[in-house]
Amino acid sequence: MWKIEIVQQVVKKQTMNVGTAHSEVNPNTRVMNSRGIWLSYILGIGLLHIILLSIPFFSVPVVWTLTNVIHNLGMYIFLHTVKGTPFETPDQGKARLLTHWEQMDYGVQFTASRKFLTITPIIFFADECPHPKAASTSWSQNLWHQQVLNATSRV
Amino acid sequence: MAAALRNGRAGWRERETGRPGPGLGAGAGPAERLHPAAPYKVKPTVEHHKKVFSETFEQPPIYVPVLTYMGYGIVTLFGYLRDFMRAWGLEKCHASQERKEQKDFVPLYQDFENFYKRNLYIRVRDNWNRPICSVPGPTFDLVERVSDDYNWTFRYTGRVIKDVINMGSYNYLGFAENKGESLNSVAEVTMMYGAGVCSTRQEMGNLDKHIQLESLVAQFLGVEAAMTFGMGFATNSMNIPALVGKGCLILSDELNHTSLILGARLSGATIRVFKHNNLQSLEKLLRDAVVNGQPRTHRPWKKILILVEGIYSMEGSMVRLPDIVDLKKKYKAYLYLDEAHSIGAVGPTGRGVVEYFSVDPRDIDVLMGTFTKSFGATGGYIAGKKELVDYLRAYSHSSVYAASMPPPIAEQIIRSLKCIMGLDGTTIGIERVRQLGVNARYFRQRLQELGFITYGNEDSPVVPLLLYMPGKVGAFARRMLKKNIGVVVVGFPATPIVESRARFCLSAAHTRQMLDTVLNVLDEMGDYLQFKYSRQSPGVRPEACDEPDFEIED
Repeated sequence: MWKIEIVQQVVKKQTMNVGTAHSEVNPNTRVMNSRGIWLSYILGIGLLHIILLSIPFFSVPVVWTLTNVIHNLGMYIFLHTVKGTPFETPDQGKARLLTHWEQMDYGVQFTASRKFLTITPIIFFADECPHPKAASTSWSQNLWHQQVLNATSRV
Repeated sequence: MAAALRNGRAGWRERETGRPGPGLGAGAGPAERLHPAAPYKVKPTVEHHKKVFSETFEQPPIYVPVLTYMGYGIVTLFGYLRDFMRAWGLEKCHASQERKEQKDFVPLYQDFENFYKRNLYIRVRDNWNRPICSVPGPTFDLVERVSDDYNWTFRYTGRVIKDVINMGSYNYLGFAENKGESLNSVAEVTMMYGAGVCSTRQEMGNLDKHIQLESLVAQFLGVEAAMTFGMGFATNSMNIPALVGKGCLILSDELNHTSLILGARLSGATIRVFKHNNLQSLEKLLRDAVVNGQPRTHRPWKKILILVEGIYSMEGSMVRLPDIVDLKKKYKAYLYLDEAHSIGAVGPTGRGVVEYFSVDPRDIDVLMGTFTKSFGATGGYIAGKKELVDYLRAYSHSSVYAASMPPPIAEQIIRSLKCIMGLDGTTIGIERVRQLGVNARYFRQRLQELGFITYGNEDSPVVPLLLYMPGKVGAFARRMLKKNIGVVVVGFPATPIVESRARFCLSAAHTRQMLDTVLNVLDEMGDYLQFKYSRQSPGVRPEACDEPDFEIED
């Protein structure tokens, strides 16, 4: 019934200092949905990969393994270990014991960002598999690594 | 018309409606995004014959958010490094810490919660809370301060930076002044009544000044009655609980001010949030509320109150008032309009968004506003039907427990209201209102021509200029101060992570010369700091497009 076309990125307000305008209680919940963050994430992994590739004494499969390992460790620390918010929220600390993964989208499961962040490491892992040289040991290490991280982080 | 010419650019998202006057059907369809069907039929002012509601929220190219995240990422990593160094004694820790004997106690606060403050905010802290030593008019004097330890502590050099152009104060009509004949009455009132009242409205704090002020406010707004309160924030937070309670529903805009949110929470009503200025979202919530009733019992809601603001101060956007009034009538809800930033600042005679959109003030159930911004005073008012105001006089927390407005403040508001309404026999007031509109439109238009991304409605005196990257936010504010211009910048988490901005508040007291100075500096700085991200075509002047509209009008 409303013929008016509204084409506008929904601007979400977030607060740090008391007294500023907004009703978004915890800005952390929206960070992973912001414009360009998925692209930045992919570019970040790409950058890491290129830096590792430029170290002369690592062979390509080792570099792939290292990329995966460092990426997984980084994600584990920042998304699944660090708890709370780096700023004070007006909701009296409801999110103090929650990791960033748990805070995302206020705990709603299977949102687009969660699916994206779950699938990307799997794709990177699968990408790494085709390298045959020294593949068997590193492949199994990596697989074990992924399984452990997945199991501990999603609990 | 100007807006229509700016359409069709990549990366450009514009929201635009042309709406026929009240009483006609809304005829804007998808194609009308390019050609506004029939503009608002408002009273023609000197500048506009036709008014099109046009707000823009342009998106920058994709590399901008990517670099912004990179900036925050680097700052976070360095933050962790510095925290590590502070924890291991490699660097002196300036933040307050608990005493050694108390290390085994439960900590008073969580270290991580102050991570952002320690590692990002403190670095750029010199751009906020700058002490001033003159009245915050169109120019002011700042106390010069320097920091020897990277903003952990400041010391004053003893010098004063004079005549800094003030682009941050909410001084829309220029009433923040300390010279003027009409101020004599304020001085007399201070001598006669004293500085404060020390009592509540219901006990001994009801003075003739308050009654005079309230009748003047009611006359100004075109309503039956009004009540004033000593504090603008408290007007919202103390009166919404008096109006709604448990069993009622509050539909509040996403970007509502903290005072409205606090009032809504204190009332005990159910709060549902609709997307900013998005009428489909609001209608969906209204339908859902009317059809389904209260959550488990499905009983009908006792009251549905829609909370909106006139101008949203962080975005510069205006509420779509006629559409919301139509919705509210259709679904039989009540409307609470907070005109904190729009009263005195928009509308041909300064009566706010109600006048700007030519809506009948009797259609809005509760008109609220503050005197802090356009009137150079403090306090707030609630206006509407006499029944409503009488009820609030008896049941509002403010009237029972809070001290009433001090008489000098009441006199200041009376004098500025008389000035705006023309009751003092001069045309100063209406000139100021007109000048503010001219300044706002000129500034916005020039910023867009220069290639900056600004948000909000073209008529709003609040102009947010997007800076995006955290480094630029600090650099911008500091360099502007070096060029003698004082600006307000805001970053994450007060804004979304990508959209850090500088917010300019125009004033009727700004001369064209001051604005041109600011614009020239901005031009230079935009090239130096590289934040001219706009991809629309600049240089479209409205005078050039004031041709007859050949569209078939509804």
